[in-house]
Amino acid sequence: MAGLLVLLEVLPRIGVVSPDYLPPASRIAAALADEAGTAQFWAGIRDTLVAWAIGLLIAVVAGVVVGVIIGSVPVLRAFTASTVEFLRPIPSVALIPLAVLLYGTDLRSTLLLVVYAAFWQVLVQVLYGVADVDPVADETARSYRLGPWARVRYLLWPTALPYVLTGVRLAAAVALILAITTELVIGSPGLGAQIAVAQSSQAVPTMYALVFVTGLLGVGINVIARAAEHRLLAWHQSVRGEVIP
Amino acid sequence: MRRNIAGIAAAVLVAAVAGCGSSDSPGTATTPGGTTQVKVGVIPIVDVAPIYLGQQKGFFASRKIELTMESGQGGAAIVPGVVSGQFQFGFSNITSLLIAQTKNVPIKVVSNGVASTGKAGADFGGVAVLADSPIKTAADLAGKKVAVNTLKNIGDTTVRESVRKAGGDPNGISFVEIPFANMPAALTAGQVDAVWVVEPSLSAVTGAGGRVVAWNYVDAAPNLTVAVYFASTKLIADKPDLVKAFTEAMNESLAYADAHPDEVRDIIGTFTKIDPAVRAKLTLPKWPTEINRASIETLATLGTKDGVITGTPDLGKLLP
Repeated sequence: MAGLLVLLEVLPRIGVVSPDYLPPASRIAAALADEAGTAQFWAGIRDTLVAWAIGLLIAVVAGVVVGVIIGSVPVLRAFTASTVEFLRPIPSVALIPLAVLLYGTDLRSTLLLVVYAAFWQVLVQVLYGVADVDPVADETARSYRLGPWARVRYLLWPTALPYVLTGVRLAAAVALILAITTELVIGSPGLGAQIAVAQSSQAVPTMYALVFVTGLLGVGINVIARAAEHRLLAWHQSVRGEVIP
Repeated sequence: MRRNIAGIAAAVLVAAVAGCGSSDSPGTATTPGGTTQVKVGVIPIVDVAPIYLGQQKGFFASRKIELTMESGQGGAAIVPGVVSGQFQFGFSNITSLLIAQTKNVPIKVVSNGVASTGKAGADFGGVAVLADSPIKTAADLAGKKVAVNTLKNIGDTTVRESVRKAGGDPNGISFVEIPFANMPAALTAGQVDAVWVVEPSLSAVTGAGGRVVAWNYVDAAPNLTVAVYFASTKLIADKPDLVKAFTEAMNESLAYADAHPDEVRDIIGTFTKIDPAVRAKLTLPKWPTEINRASIETLATLGTKDGVITGTPDLGKLLP
């Protein structure tokens, strides 16, 4: 990180790149300090994080519920497999015209794209997780006459949880990418929209400063997601790191 | 243009859908005090300064209109947004609206938006080249690579007219699409020979030593009307009082902005991130209240001639 900053400071100063289009790090930092003094900047961060959080929450809840239902009913799984494989690779950004038509430039446009992108990340992991249930354990649970709910709670959920959390971590990153992208392209409120405004205002250092902030958000989100994973899976051997004899 | 076609196609689609089903009336909410909440789709650029200034001065509030500006990136989201009723009013350049009109998108102009200063040498947009470029006049642009923000729109039509008027052949020009903001860099890097660029990017080019070789808005027509505010024909039919009040408030804002350039330069700082030093110096457009009908007819003719507009736009339906 420090190396990158030094490089960013030196390259424009020695003229490898034009400082007009890639200002040295110190000027970007100054622009960031200016931005941090404005209410607009913090409102932008808030808007982006709100869109991210709501979108991720919807995607995770929907992904887990749909994944558990589809995953535990083999007929449903077979029935939806081709549909999932068709819908999943559609890039969320391809839905931008649809979002604009339905919701214009407000938060709902961002949510549509964030949810669409993040949902598949969770769903696919949940499907893998459900499929990973040990058949012996499943039969044992059945012979002990555990009901459907108890099987989900004590068998399926613990098996699927590491997969679910991987899905959530991937979805968290994807959700941030899509939130910023939507704001940048459509102009829905948030950091992305401010980057676009800075760009069209020829405020080059400010633009880089805002791009830098999106990077920081990404790092922060990843750190939190990993910490949460670590806590929730403290019992799991992948985290405990013990070898089961 | 890709975005533009997509936008207009979307608007056509919305219009078709609205025509088939029982579309709800454009979503205006009225508060108990009789104030109507109105959303206006704008692009966060210098051109729309009057509406922000008018809002600050209370020209809209005094007519019981509570404005919310929804800034979309580029006009593509604005026309469909207005047709579908997400915005009550929108801001768009004339050529885009002329194209939309030939596709029978149900919209109508409600007030002027922004106009060229009409002065060669001091307009808010022009065709610029690098200081050491062999291009000296508009005629030299023939056969060169020129950047415009959207293909097949107001930029290439007016640039062609500049070249034609200077005695050059506009057919050989190859236009490439580059966002205004990226034009200074594209020009410096030699990706294009010339850029059609507007403020504040124009200041960035001239500030770096670039020369303006053609004032395309000035060459196209005297005091060219560049952009306007518009509404859906449905809103105009359903809420004539609201539209009338908006037009009056808009006209007051335009006149005020035109007369108070310093306040304009201040208000620009609230909705863009243009550097204060640039803001103090950039060339402001004109904001007349009168829509220059003759100039719009010229744009329609030029657009049809260049193949930018297919069919003949019905100005009687588009203009108030």
